[in-house]
Amino acid sequence: MNVQPTGPLNRQKSAGKRQQPVWDIFVRLFHWVLVAAVAIAGVTGFLAGATWIDIHVLAGSVMAGLVLARILWGFLGGTHARFSRFVVSPAKTIAHLKSLLQGHSDRHAGHNPLGAWMILALLATGLGLAVTGYIVFGGEQKAGPLGFATSYETGHSAKEIHELLAWALLALVGLHIAGALFESRRTGENLPRSMVTGTKEVRDGDHLSAPAKPHPGPALALGMMLGSLLLAGGWNLSARPDFQAPLAPLDAGYAQECSACHIAYHPSLLPRPAWSALMATLDEHFGEDASLDAKTTEELTAYLSAHSAEAFDTKAANRLTVTDPAHPFTITRSPFWTRTHADIPDAVFASQAVKSKGNCAACHGDAASGRFYPGTISIPKETKP
Amino acid sequence: MKHLILIKAAAAALVLTVAAAQADPARDAIIATYGKAAAQPLSAARGEAFFMGTHAGGKPDTPSCTSCHSKNLKAAGVTRAGKPIEPMAVSANPKRYTDLAFVEKWLTRNCNSVLGRECDAQEKGDLLTWLSSL
Repeated sequence: MNVQPTGPLNRQKSAGKRQQPVWDIFVRLFHWVLVAAVAIAGVTGFLAGATWIDIHVLAGSVMAGLVLARILWGFLGGTHARFSRFVVSPAKTIAHLKSLLQGHSDRHAGHNPLGAWMILALLATGLGLAVTGYIVFGGEQKAGPLGFATSYETGHSAKEIHELLAWALLALVGLHIAGALFESRRTGENLPRSMVTGTKEVRDGDHLSAPAKPHPGPALALGMMLGSLLLAGGWNLSARPDFQAPLAPLDAGYAQECSACHIAYHPSLLPRPAWSALMATLDEHFGEDASLDAKTTEELTAYLSAHSAEAFDTKAANRLTVTDPAHPFTITRSPFWTRTHADIPDAVFASQAVKSKGNCAACHGDAASGRFYPGTISIPKETKP
Repeated sequence: MKHLILIKAAAAALVLTVAAAQADPARDAIIATYGKAAAQPLSAARGEAFFMGTHAGGKPDTPSCTSCHSKNLKAAGVTRAGKPIEPMAVSANPKRYTDLAFVEKWLTRNCNSVLGRECDAQEKGDLLTWLSSL
């Protein structure tokens, strides 16, 4: 496809040079919106706390949509947008690299062979992040399109891959920027600016790709069709009941008896043996006597056993089953609870608005349901003791 | 003179209305039961001293009724876990002490927590007599 250059690399500066259109408006919009989406997903994923999960998932979804649209445009777009015009064989890529290292590589109007592979790597990593992200979101949070079918275990394993891909994307973005700056310096043309204006200088001796006619109409139609299918499908899947998530309301008797002094803890927050031990020692219940008559005790023990952590697949049900052996039914002493609440100052727990570590509902808007979705966390600002 | 009589009548009517709002046959029956089993006539003053006092023998976090119910019985108290407790004074919470099972459940639990033992009929009767007068 490529026409071999005839002369040495043209390094003339841009003054008065004729400009040629290279990056069409879709490619440019795609590029900069993708930069924003990846930046938001990256900052919320790497740095911000779990409470930013909604923004993180939204940014990731926007990224996924953009990548899919770019792939479509890679088949229907014009010369410099089309994969077939800029992706070259590994052998040619190595040849390009060699000539670069020898200092006499020529200039490409569109992507050079190394840049082309970078584009593919970026798109693939982005897609991988989106897929693993939805698996983590579905398995760990029982939310999103895969929440209905993904186990916690699957979600938790996918998280490792998701994190690995996130680091890979960070490295690729670094390389991509380094490559763009290097090529800008080498060819004496501001490539980041070209991604804004869409044009590059016309120079003699450039690698030229065989021109391809863009098909914006069919691309738009196909994109809208596939997009609405994906959205409708995602919506439909998201609306399905989540995999082994607590959906039934609390037993009325349990809710009444066990919420007089504290919130009615969802039965899924402790394993079965812990509930049995707790119900057998109600006369010594966290520093108070909370005895019940024998019949009520029996009924509530049966309810708790049937709906304990073993019966659900939420993150809390999976992680809180490991309790502190010295305090087998104190949720706030479990290793998971201790770790996830380590950053919260004692003053918050002692404040009027919270009062005790056991008052989950003071910060977790969905504590009663047992879900503990991070997006519902709102730590009270007031810390008056 | 006529004015004074009218004012007296109005005042009497008001007192009666308030008394009627607070009186409840179920509550009276509960207090009467405790009174019958008590050695001495029930005393609001003794009930107040018992409620406000600090006791030994109970659990360390709850040395007094006021640990959770606070000293303002017309306002809500708060449990150690952060849940509000409805006011104890009948004037602020007219449905107090009208359900024997409920009264017994909480007195059993809370006397154990505060005193480390169950309360006797005298103590229960004194307490309810005082709390009903508030």
